Amino acid sequence: MAGKTKHIGSIIAGSLLGGLEAKLDEDINVEGVSVGRLIVVDGALNKFFCLLKDVSLEATNEDILLNPPRDDFSKMVHAGVNTFYKLSLQPMLITSQEPEAGDRPRPSTTVPPHFSPVCEATADDISLIFGEPGLTNPEIGSPIFMEVPVCLNLERFCKRSNAVFGKSGSGKSVLARMILGHLVKSDMAINLIFDMHGEYGWSATSEGSGADDPSLRQILGSKVAIFTVDADSPLYRKIRPDYDVQIPYGIIEIADLELAAGELGLTQAGIETMYRLHDAWGESKWLAKFLAMDAGELSLVVEELKVNDQALGKLHRCLSRLKRLPFIRKEVADDTVARIMNEIRAGRHIVFQFGRYNSMLSYILVANILTRRLHRLYVDKTDSARAEGIEGPKPLVVTIEEAHKFLDPAVARQTIFGTIAREMRKYNMVLLLIDQRPSGIDDEILSQVGTRIIGELGDERDINAVLTGLPGQGTLKVLINNLEPRQFLLTGFAPPMPVVIDAKEYGLFCNELRVGAGVIVDEIERRKSIDSLKASVFGDDEIVFD
Amino acid sequence: MSGRIGEIIQVSTTRILAQNDDLSVLPHFGSFIKTRSQGMTIYGLVFNVYETSIDPNRRAMAFGIERDELLRRQPQIAEFLKVEFEAAVIGFDDAGYIRAYLPPFPPRIHSFVYPCNSREVIDLTEDLEFIRSVNALPGLPVEELAAASIRLAYAERGNDSAFLTRAGQEIAQLLKDEYEKARSIIRRISDGR
Repeated sequence: MAGKTKHIGSIIAGSLLGGLEAKLDEDINVEGVSVGRLIVVDGALNKFFCLLKDVSLEATNEDILLNPPRDDFSKMVHAGVNTFYKLSLQPMLITSQEPEAGDRPRPSTTVPPHFSPVCEATADDISLIFGEPGLTNPEIGSPIFMEVPVCLNLERFCKRSNAVFGKSGSGKSVLARMILGHLVKSDMAINLIFDMHGEYGWSATSEGSGADDPSLRQILGSKVAIFTVDADSPLYRKIRPDYDVQIPYGIIEIADLELAAGELGLTQAGIETMYRLHDAWGESKWLAKFLAMDAGELSLVVEELKVNDQALGKLHRCLSRLKRLPFIRKEVADDTVARIMNEIRAGRHIVFQFGRYNSMLSYILVANILTRRLHRLYVDKTDSARAEGIEGPKPLVVTIEEAHKFLDPAVARQTIFGTIAREMRKYNMVLLLIDQRPSGIDDEILSQVGTRIIGELGDERDINAVLTGLPGQGTLKVLINNLEPRQFLLTGFAPPMPVVIDAKEYGLFCNELRVGAGVIVDEIERRKSIDSLKASVFGDDEIVFD
Repeated sequence: MSGRIGEIIQVSTTRILAQNDDLSVLPHFGSFIKTRSQGMTIYGLVFNVYETSIDPNRRAMAFGIERDELLRRQPQIAEFLKVEFEAAVIGFDDAGYIRAYLPPFPPRIHSFVYPCNSREVIDLTEDLEFIRSVNALPGLPVEELAAASIRLAYAERGNDSAFLTRAGQEIAQLLKDEYEKARSIIRRISDGR
């Protein structure tokens, strides 16, 4: 048995709906018992895995509250008799006391008897619930106050759209990077990461030390391809991007521009004018033609198409912003989407970077245009694969930051991201949303999010939003309110029960991934010593194990 | 048994009245006593001690002289005084085990009374169930009595503070419906630390 069972109390009341109540043992210091802990109740036949959702002060006698004991001796002798601490527990999972091989914990459907012993969960309990660390079940952290791995079942994870929420500084990017790293390593799905802030490609600045942490390309080497719209960025001094992306005007659709309406300053009249131009000049030509026009030509258009000249002028000014994005061109050498599909077929993962053009406008446009076309391809391929009864394209996880910009209630119904989130895994495409403002995301989309990894959130509205569609929101809300930076609540589809974790150290993750998950510690240490030896001989340049 | 301190002159199921042999030594309030009767040792807790005239119709008179001096000058006065004490029955010995509840019958009149030895005090106070019986008897100064007996047991245990804590917790438990009473006992025993 790894870790000794520590008895902390006994069950005194409760119900399956409202949760269990336990009296804390007198010799346990209440200040050491904090909300979010995993607790095990030993019933007669079953073990109940519960979440500690509240701790309260109780008195058996009104008089003691009116005349509280003053000296320490009196407080001590009344403790446990006239005053006691009550733990509120939410039963989550249940497993037999004598499990047979292959028994997995299942949702709790009953309660333990009176006075059942209440204990802290041990390492064995945690690994029974979350499984042993492995390639497709990587460790992403440990339960708060415990040094035991909590693993994420990647197979389940890839079956739904997922989200990592947390305000800036909560550590969500680092955790997301770790999860993406494990996804890449395990090849459970192909990743397409729209990396707005340049964190998932070569290196990322660590918030703690300010130094550069290695990112996916360094850790996973050639499995990760870097696509960029800004190949001349100083980012790429150490490593050349694999592909310099250019987007022709011809593939930009009105829906793409509508999504970026806020960034472009488009009005409703402008959008309607766009449709007129689109109908008159053709789907692939209108934008290039319109942007090439000068003031004189515009007035001809007003007469020809009977559009409002002010609306047309404003639209022209708004869309002219696109000209400032050098990666959007009239003519391009080859098709980015085809390139991406080739990489996907080759099993490589793509980090899409924006370099100096990391404005919301370019991010939204590029992510939307590419994902829409990819989705179309995926739908075709999946459908034809189904018709022929062969295996469909590899599952694709599309990671988007600032997800609320794409999934705003006003636009979520039209954008491709809304469609992907709603249709779940039908076409082998799911989303990984990374966002700090979940309240900006459409409710319908939120309720479709499978696994939610929730970090510190300040705003009450954001907290309510991330819990949309989940059972036991009251309990989870308490847990979210108590999160600290680098602590996350893991809930939803992939984890068998909600759990608050301390995210894994990024350094440990890097070491583990470079030599492969599950490799003995000696091997990691051996590699580390080679690493430092090489570093001292050759300097700190790229050293990749692959 | 040695060190006889008195002789029973009146009994009931719950109480013993005994007369002291020696005028010069008074039994302590809250001390544990025992008596042997019909093959059984019965234990009691002294809760009331009084010194009075042997003739119920004649009260002692004030002489205006210090007691020691008075008894030296007029030793016959001692012959007219007696010390009596009352004890609550708190337990008995059953085949070597001390039971902290009422015996099936009280001791008989004219049985001798002895102080409990250290071992017996410790055994009797191992749990404080006797305080519950004492608390149930009418007219007893329960708070003072419980505190005095616990202090005595504490001293017998060589001032073991773990015992005092345990005793305090038991008091809190026994008297949890009478918080004020429990509080005053706990205050009294914590003063003795």
